Amino acid sequence: MERRDFVQVAGVAAISLGSGSLLAQQSRAVCYNCPPEWADWGGMLRLLAKDLNLQVPPDNKNSGQALAALVAEKAKPVADVVYLGGQVGPQAREAGVLEAFKPSRWNEIPAGQKDPEGFWFAIHSGTLGFFVNRTALGKRPLPKGWNDLLKPDYQGLVGYLNPGSAAVGQVGVIAVNLALGGSYERLDPGIGYFKKLQANKPIVPTQTSYARVLSGEIPILLDYDFNAYRAQYKDGAPTTFVIPEEGSLQLPYVMGLVRNSPNPEQGRRLLDFVLSDAGQRHWANAFLRPVIAQAMSAEVRGRFLPDEDYRRAQPVDVVRLAASAGTIAKRYQAEVA
Amino acid sequence: MALATTSRLLDRAALGLTVALALFLSVPVVLSILTGLMVNQFQGFSAGFSLRWVREVVEQYHGAILLSVWIATLTVLINLVLGTLLAHGLRRTRVQWARALEEMFVMPVAMPGISLGLAMIVSYGALGGFRTHWSFILVGHVLFTLPFMMRAVLAVMQAQRLDVLEEAAASLGAGPWRRLVDVVMPNCRNAMVAGSLMVFTLSIGEFNMTLLLHSPFTPTLPVGLADAYASLRIEVGSAYTLIFFVLIVPLLVAMQFLGGSPRGKAL
Amino acid sequence: MRTVGWTRVFLAPALTVFAAFFLVPLARLFAVGAAGPSGWAAYVEVLHNTRYLQSFLSTLALAGSVTICTLCLCAVCGVYLSRASFAFKPLLTAVLTLPLAFPGVVVGFLVIMLGGRQGVVAQAGQALGGDPGSAVVFAYSMTGLFVGYLYFSIPRSMLTVMATADKLDRDLEEAARTLGASAFAVARDVILPGIRPALVASGAICFATAMGAFGTAFTLATKINVLPMVIYSEFTLQANLAIAAVLSLWLGLLTWLVLILARSATGSAVAAAA
Repeated sequence: MERRDFVQVAGVAAISLGSGSLLAQQSRAVCYNCPPEWADWGGMLRLLAKDLNLQVPPDNKNSGQALAALVAEKAKPVADVVYLGGQVGPQAREAGVLEAFKPSRWNEIPAGQKDPEGFWFAIHSGTLGFFVNRTALGKRPLPKGWNDLLKPDYQGLVGYLNPGSAAVGQVGVIAVNLALGGSYERLDPGIGYFKKLQANKPIVPTQTSYARVLSGEIPILLDYDFNAYRAQYKDGAPTTFVIPEEGSLQLPYVMGLVRNSPNPEQGRRLLDFVLSDAGQRHWANAFLRPVIAQAMSAEVRGRFLPDEDYRRAQPVDVVRLAASAGTIAKRYQAEVA
Repeated sequence: MALATTSRLLDRAALGLTVALALFLSVPVVLSILTGLMVNQFQGFSAGFSLRWVREVVEQYHGAILLSVWIATLTVLINLVLGTLLAHGLRRTRVQWARALEEMFVMPVAMPGISLGLAMIVSYGALGGFRTHWSFILVGHVLFTLPFMMRAVLAVMQAQRLDVLEEAAASLGAGPWRRLVDVVMPNCRNAMVAGSLMVFTLSIGEFNMTLLLHSPFTPTLPVGLADAYASLRIEVGSAYTLIFFVLIVPLLVAMQFLGGSPRGKAL
Repeated sequence: MRTVGWTRVFLAPALTVFAAFFLVPLARLFAVGAAGPSGWAAYVEVLHNTRYLQSFLSTLALAGSVTICTLCLCAVCGVYLSRASFAFKPLLTAVLTLPLAFPGVVVGFLVIMLGGRQGVVAQAGQALGGDPGSAVVFAYSMTGLFVGYLYFSIPRSMLTVMATADKLDRDLEEAARTLGASAFAVARDVILPGIRPALVASGAICFATAMGAFGTAFTLATKINVLPMVIYSEFTLQANLAIAAVLSLWLGLLTWLVLILARSATGSAVAAAA
């Protein structure tokens, strides 16, 4: 084949592939922080492809990384929607990366779980506790509370996501803090606890570590009930969920539309879908508490821990946590890490 | 057994050290391959073997893997054209200029990959369509691998014999373009193949720059690999690494065969 | 006929691509570095900031120690392999040089296989009766990074040393031996000076590569504080574009200078690698 022919063919191939991808862009959307192994986003992304014909690639960023990416890309955003831990919603609004959008079921979302102007709104919530792999614990007893984790029995077996960037990490700090008598503004008990925990050589990943609990690499992870129940009931893993006896917290997870996003129409469709009956039912079946409460069936509710255990978990004051989130991250980096 | 030194003891010690190094380099690779095929690494061999993780990787990341192969192929083709033309042009240039130009073209290899990625984003990131297209990554790869193709081809082109052949062709009336296509290029075939293998291997494994240049719809193999390491089970990460080895080892073997191994930066 | 016109035609495509996608972006990066709150002073300020200075020094220390270690190991093994002949020598040589093109991410993962929580070393320790808490886990610290950098530096330097060792003049060694020098003296006074150019060249490349390496540190993450990681986190976590740009350019300049020095010190024959 002559060199000229070759170049021609290559050129045509390149152009057709390029234009092909441009066409495909019409039913695509980008979500920051939609990890397939977290809250069964994997299932939700498949549902979006099937029911809405919307292609959304999975994304393993945590809340902190997602916010940072949005800020870095402010001039030319790449994402259309973002999923964030409740306390990061107000931070994202302040950073000016979100756009106000009231989805069709706006009025059904309770007042404390949405931004009054519509910059973010909860889609589901979970309760923080211990996600434990019983087999990996071996003969050791199940930890019952925060103070148990400090025992040398559990050396090298405890993990938690990095409070420097992960929302769940920050909730862990504030949950311990409140359980040990601190407040949203007074963080000493919580930070002090994590300092003590370092003696037990904890494992501190930055991104979702669901799979590592299942495999036994991290036997005890500070994580949400929905991840633990999914492991136990859907994946048949030898895991269990424990709500610490000293007390814990419930956190809503929120979503928002990104300002100046490339595919705003698709972004809005996605946000409406996660709040729709089908969407909320999906979250309920994945053991999250859907923000539109009646979506959860009795059968699913039966699989949760008894209500008296859940009384130990208070809902988070999202706005107060948003105000101290920065301090938590900074103090953790400075004093513990 | 022929000795390397006059002392049996020194010889034995050197052999021991060499074998130890070889083990250091090969044992993790073997372990990684095995882990990718194990059912559960925590339980070890007793839990058995399975192709489940390899299947999962292919399901979740086939897009990334195919895109990497596509970009690597295009990088090779583009660099064959650019590199050959460049090398030929350098041959015809005065030595001091040629040296300076060569050094200049090596700069993208000397700079850290993340800096290159940052520079690209800062300059062209605002062009939305370009930023999220695979050509954004392609451009970076072309720049990073061009010096390797250039050097490989230039080394052969600078052989004396080629000058004589060109003179002969010129005296028969062949113009510069004809001389390049009909005299110079056929003689560089081996160098072009060696350069192509090197470029392909480097492009497939490029991570630093690509981490910044990619976007959610254009992940590449190494980007997906890092993602799997960070967020998924160790068996999945190992299976992904296994797929990478399957792609790259035949290329490396072929390169060693042709006598031109990639000594350049692949980090 | 060598007309200048045709030469320009041949050089044009590569030069255009290079100018558009490297020179222009580099210039933009330089400008962005000065677009932060301190303006152009940022380029100097960064050198005084303790955090950046510290990470620069730890990167320097890491790159330096890896280079020295690699050169020592490769000097011994490279010379040995180029001379000795035994049954499995080709296999050994192949194993030692194949990992050349592994990206940093893969090397980081291989280090986890060796020294991670369920790595070879940890499992060996547990088999000998330790409990999970005190397992030897070195992958996620500077030690792990050192091991990783060693992993990708050894194959490169090995090749260069072997190639040079092949060309050494054995007569000099014979002469030294007949004059009564011990094997050790021969190695120190004849062989070592002979492979010095290879050591300098591959040492420079090893150093430059280690300074700019990122993939390995990225995979091993958490406690590591090397300059490329600082650049990355300034950009992605703090959206601090100006600082990231300034640090990138300083790092790039340093590695480019090291490579140029190496090429001029030893000639292009040996340094054709990078």
